[in-house]
Amino acid sequence: MIVKNITLLGHKDHGKSTTIGNLLILTKTVTQDRINEAKRISRELGRQFEPGYILDSFSEERENEMTIDTTRAELVHKDLAFAFIDVPGHEELIKNMISGASYAEIALLMVSAKKEEGIREQTKRHIFIARMLGIDKLIVAVNKMDLIGYDHKKFHEMCTELAKFIERVGFKRSNVFFVPISAYNGDNLVKRSKMMKWYKGKPVLDLLYVHAKGEDTRLGRSALRVVAQGFIDPERKIIVGKVVSGKISVGSNINILPIGATSKVSAISVKGKRVRTARINDDVAIHISTPISKDVRGTVIVDSSEKPLLTDKINSLIFVTAPIRRNLKIKVNGSEVACKKFDVIKHIDTTTGEPMAESKIEPLDAIRSRITLSKKVPIENFESLRELGRFVLYSEGKFAGIGIVE
Amino acid sequence: MIQQDLKSLEEKSIYVIREANIKFKKVAALWSMGKDSTAMLALARKAFLGKVPFPVIHIDNGIDFPETYQFREELAKKWKLDLIVAKSNIKPEMSGFACCGANKTIELKKIMKQYGFDALIVSIRRDEHGIRAKERYMSPRDKNFKWNFKDQPAELWDDYSSKLDAKGHVRIHPLLDWNEIDIWNFVKKDKIPVNPLYFARDGYRYRSLGCTHCTVALPSNVKDINGIIKELATTTTEERSGRQQDKEKEYVMEKLRSLGYM
Repeated sequence: MIVKNITLLGHKDHGKSTTIGNLLILTKTVTQDRINEAKRISRELGRQFEPGYILDSFSEERENEMTIDTTRAELVHKDLAFAFIDVPGHEELIKNMISGASYAEIALLMVSAKKEEGIREQTKRHIFIARMLGIDKLIVAVNKMDLIGYDHKKFHEMCTELAKFIERVGFKRSNVFFVPISAYNGDNLVKRSKMMKWYKGKPVLDLLYVHAKGEDTRLGRSALRVVAQGFIDPERKIIVGKVVSGKISVGSNINILPIGATSKVSAISVKGKRVRTARINDDVAIHISTPISKDVRGTVIVDSSEKPLLTDKINSLIFVTAPIRRNLKIKVNGSEVACKKFDVIKHIDTTTGEPMAESKIEPLDAIRSRITLSKKVPIENFESLRELGRFVLYSEGKFAGIGIVE
Repeated sequence: MIQQDLKSLEEKSIYVIREANIKFKKVAALWSMGKDSTAMLALARKAFLGKVPFPVIHIDNGIDFPETYQFREELAKKWKLDLIVAKSNIKPEMSGFACCGANKTIELKKIMKQYGFDALIVSIRRDEHGIRAKERYMSPRDKNFKWNFKDQPAELWDDYSSKLDAKGHVRIHPLLDWNEIDIWNFVKKDKIPVNPLYFARDGYRYRSLGCTHCTVALPSNVKDINGIIKELATTTTEERSGRQQDKEKEYVMEKLRSLGYM
């Protein structure tokens, strides 16, 4: 069965874990053992039953009523399986949120309609990050409608405000759905709620299905690209890696970038078996005719008839997660490259999508920057091939942000 | 239980196993002779074209089932495994938490130090337990084997940033995405040998295998792999319901894992 990964997004306490927990209960996916366990814990903590406890497994998570790290829960709907990735909503846990959300194709954003909650900075920041991660299908669930008397005016106001921001960061309007829900009561999660007859759209589960059946825009193009992990033999004649675009066949002449080595493919193995041709996503072992003395880890294998871009200068959009200090490096496909120059061109407020006057770069900001690398590497635009157009930024050896090449 | 697409599961696991073996200096894998760690070895054979390139460790407390020991000998020979048996001494007064903590974890620490392993492949899956669902594909442990689950490394886009802590090691979890039923579908497709205890005898079978002290057989009449797959597709009980250690106390698994348990 095909599994579609869906990340939850949104500010803390706006109902991410509760939504997944209740979806699992309402679709009868979760075992009675787990529901009983969550009920027992709710009782022991002297609290009302909380469906989110099915997911929040750390004792700290339950006691403090917050998600610390990402987790995953699956359910079947019609002919598809959905894997929900729960992520923490707290600002300081943003690296965990990014780790979880990076696997998703669809995002389900929670925003609370409760009077003192509403659209928060973190609500918008998560939308911004989702777009940077390449997610282009979004559902906005306006939650806790029960606490505002299922007021349709308030729902429409919130949708209008969010729609503007969502379009500004680059989502197509037709790829975004809005739905009013009560995660706790289960309104509009699996079935249309009787409490909100004014809402004519589909419940959350059906909206996810519509997105899941839509075109997957994340597939690569046709030119050959294999990201190499390294040699697996002492003779240095078998390179393993992943085909991220195009196909490779026995007899092909290949070029290994940026080291510039060339060779001929004498055999190919996929999942341990000999094949004539390997295609996108295949775990490939490429047997080459002549050994290569240089290290191939982090290199990109291409067709020798083609001349892809090797560059040491990139324009990028970066979301910053930790202070940017010295010794900056970017990591692309397992290879680390030092940054010789790092010029900030524009500073962007991730909660408005607008440029900021501020010159100091703080965590949770985004920047457009021009980077000069210490060597030329095969890099492409994020929009044309994601695997070669995205990187992780390290400052003094620490994870400091994610970037895409523009 | 959801049956996932095996092709993409295998691709991800093979990628992670290769990444571990290339990235780290001295890799080892834990092998309990259960279905998961055996399936992992089958994937390693695919990743490295027929040979498991790292040693496999069995933490042997002397009280595993006789069938398990026999299975170990047969498969180690057939797949030419570099098998390390780490004998631990079980104390009769111990059980559950104390037993798993004291015996398995302490013995593992000794072996890791003795051989100087810097990475350890452990075949856990997210669907086994809520705590295991929180794991990364690559996860650092400090020199005392502690898991700092409150500050895990970022992990995205096939970039596994885990760095070695001084004198620590990195846990590798290539099967994280697999469900129990996926393992059985894989065992069936690739005809992977499995421990006979998984099949019913006298109306009972083992769904999850630990040692003889803490593992309880569950009622079942299933005698072949197809039967297991059918049974799992509709089950409403948890895989580890036959494991005593998980039941003693709410956060036993969290404690065991944070102390270095697998």
